[in-house]
Amino acid sequence: MPPLNGAGTGGRAASGRDHAEHAGVASARPWRDVLTIVALASPALLGVVALTLGFYQISVLDVARSLLSSVLPAAAAEVPEIARRLVLDVRLPRVLAAMLIGAGLAVTGAVFQGIFTNPLVDSGLLGVTAGAGFGAALAMLLGADGVMVQTAAFAFGLFAVTMAFLGSRLYRSAPTILLTLMGILIGSFFASLTSLLKYLADPLDTLPSITFWLLGGLTGIGWRSLPLLATLTVAGAVFFVLVRWRLNVLSLGDAEATALGMHPQRMKILLIVASTLVTAVAVAVGGVIGWVGLVIPHAARMLVGPDHLRLIPMSLALGASFLLTIDTVSRSLLPSEVPLGVLTGLVGVPLLIALLRRQGAGW
Amino acid sequence: MSGPKLQATGLSFGYDPARPVVKDVSFHVDAGEVVFLLGHNGSGKTSLLACLSGAQRAGAGRVTIDGRDVHAMAPTERAQRIGMIPQLHVAVFGYDVLDVVLMGRAPHLATFSAPTREDRAIALESLDRVGLAGFHDRRYTQLSGGERQLVLVARGLTQRCDVLLMDEPDAHLDPRNQLRVLEVVETLAREHRLSFVVSSHAPNSALMFADRVLLLRRGRTLALGSVEETLTEALLSEAYAMPTEVVTKTVNGHRMPRAILPRRIDRVPEAIATMTLDPGALERPGSVLATLVQASRTQPQRILVTGSRGSGKSRWCERLVEMARRRDWRIAGVLSPPVMDGDRKVGIDLLDLASGERQRLADVRRGAGEGTTTERWRFEDATLAWGNDVLRRASQSLPQLLVVDELGPLELQRDVGLSAGIAAIDGVQQGLACVVVRPSLLDVALKRWPDAVVVDVED
Repeated sequence: MPPLNGAGTGGRAASGRDHAEHAGVASARPWRDVLTIVALASPALLGVVALTLGFYQISVLDVARSLLSSVLPAAAAEVPEIARRLVLDVRLPRVLAAMLIGAGLAVTGAVFQGIFTNPLVDSGLLGVTAGAGFGAALAMLLGADGVMVQTAAFAFGLFAVTMAFLGSRLYRSAPTILLTLMGILIGSFFASLTSLLKYLADPLDTLPSITFWLLGGLTGIGWRSLPLLATLTVAGAVFFVLVRWRLNVLSLGDAEATALGMHPQRMKILLIVASTLVTAVAVAVGGVIGWVGLVIPHAARMLVGPDHLRLIPMSLALGASFLLTIDTVSRSLLPSEVPLGVLTGLVGVPLLIALLRRQGAGW
Repeated sequence: MSGPKLQATGLSFGYDPARPVVKDVSFHVDAGEVVFLLGHNGSGKTSLLACLSGAQRAGAGRVTIDGRDVHAMAPTERAQRIGMIPQLHVAVFGYDVLDVVLMGRAPHLATFSAPTREDRAIALESLDRVGLAGFHDRRYTQLSGGERQLVLVARGLTQRCDVLLMDEPDAHLDPRNQLRVLEVVETLAREHRLSFVVSSHAPNSALMFADRVLLLRRGRTLALGSVEETLTEALLSEAYAMPTEVVTKTVNGHRMPRAILPRRIDRVPEAIATMTLDPGALERPGSVLATLVQASRTQPQRILVTGSRGSGKSRWCERLVEMARRRDWRIAGVLSPPVMDGDRKVGIDLLDLASGERQRLADVRRGAGEGTTTERWRFEDATLAWGNDVLRRASQSLPQLLVVDELGPLELQRDVGLSAGIAAIDGVQQGLACVVVRPSLLDVALKRWPDAVVVDVED
């Protein structure tokens, strides 16, 4: 067989297929751009819609007037007082909290997936969620409530990650693998401690409240919870947005990032600290809400690709919209409020399966 | 400014300082030069690259670029001068090709900034230079291996550095893509004066594309120099601990190495005429051997004793010596009888046929060896010196039978080892001179002694 002919045919066939793939990618872009813009704008739109929904329906106009009333007292006169109070004091803090927690969990999931070069992790990897759960359970067992529970959850979330981090420092090699391993170990340890507390808790009184808290939810959220949540989440989000291009380089692994002039360890520690603060405050306020950090970055990648320049803003927007939608459905459309952690799992898992199917070969 | 671009001086490095994997390596790369690093698995190529890139700090010695110490530079500054093109890998995230290439701008951008329009222009130009214009919006993970490697080269170009280090760019690629990647490297070196240090497991790639080669063995420099100086059978055989053949082609009277092949079977080439001789035939008047002996009284008669490993070359010489002793000949030279442990050959002795004195010549190598080495044996330098004395005396004693067992690649190709044996065979005035030579070296030996008779002990 003449070898040149064989090689020539193979080459043509290969390039023909390559061109087909190329065209497929290119033609997929226009509708993606539209979808991207819609997705980025979605939290604001959904936020307004969510403010109208509930057992007491309020029109979009009244919602707008209520929101304006804080700066324009004249607007207040045209809205029923009960609607204004509902929008400003009950629904608005809850809507904002849902958006902040959703955005925080989603963006830190994307950050962790990038720095651990692993698309199957979220920011609970290093034990922050398990630690926070234990902190909350401990506080409730000791009879605390409200702010005390949140404070304990936040503190123990940070404590768990610190333990994992210090544990990984006991050894001198492969820091990323060891950090992951330590995170899983510390997380499991705190999960066991939480089970112990539940075993010790009064089954009629404390146990249900611990269990309910661990399932996640925003019932009864008021303005009190918002300053710390908003400060940490917004500060974290700003930091992530500023360094988002560096996440591309970090996702290549330490060796390549170093060769490209970065201090990967230093940058990772900063990102882990920021992510842990954001996640800890989200868990402290909203309880254990799973799947957001895993599913949303994948959905965002479907829309804008893996480039963190676009992925980070998209994760923030989709995370906010996702949790807001889930929470609004939970409080206004379902006959009784289902815990958020349950709903995010029930919606998130099928969504992830569908996304993985669409995604096919790569992330 | 003249002088080398990148210079490594006395570089040593070990992940565990007590067990260095790079030992006292010095070499340089000039602008526009392609230097290949060759060596066995674990010979220290990748560690050496890591030291050169600044990713690992050398335990001893220094690396300079244009005279400045690489380790004294900030990481970003270093990455503006030296780029690392990693081994082909499967990326976890399917970035667009342009995004991958843009990452080369990292050392030029502040931490909080993202690539600008100019950065994009540089990245697109780099893609064009490696022949991937129009690939910018393809997915990196969906490219072929050769294309992915070229994207990484483009990323290195986008880094705008003077020296690019490449870790096995020809690994995992089919021959056509190996050629494609290395041709790009060659073009960039020639036309854009970029310097390349390329580690590789393919000596044939070095043969085609290297300006110079650094051969590493167990972390040390085995050889450093041009392709002709370094890619020789003797050095490659030693570097890879494997008999190696360099196929050459004569162009305008120069022998040019064309291909490097492992030597699987050491067998007498068909073009060389051999004969069968039994040492016992010495007793029989009229036999070929007896005729040779007759002729040796006036003219020296050289016999190359050959045969594959273990075929009995030394034993053949011993029997000839026995026959000669019965006749009270003057006998000189050396035999190298094996030292056996059960049925395992664990050493080689050297026996002076004139005095009967015997010394240990070599032991089976265990662990890393210093001094004169071949792939299996560690030689006693003192015995080699003694053997060379014996051989020098032997040629002066006008023996009727001179035996040199054996002349191998060390002697015939590198002029070390029992090299006095060559002079002894050269210098015989009369008598029989028997040299043990392995089949792969017959053509070298016959070039030296064209009138020698070749005895194949296997026939």
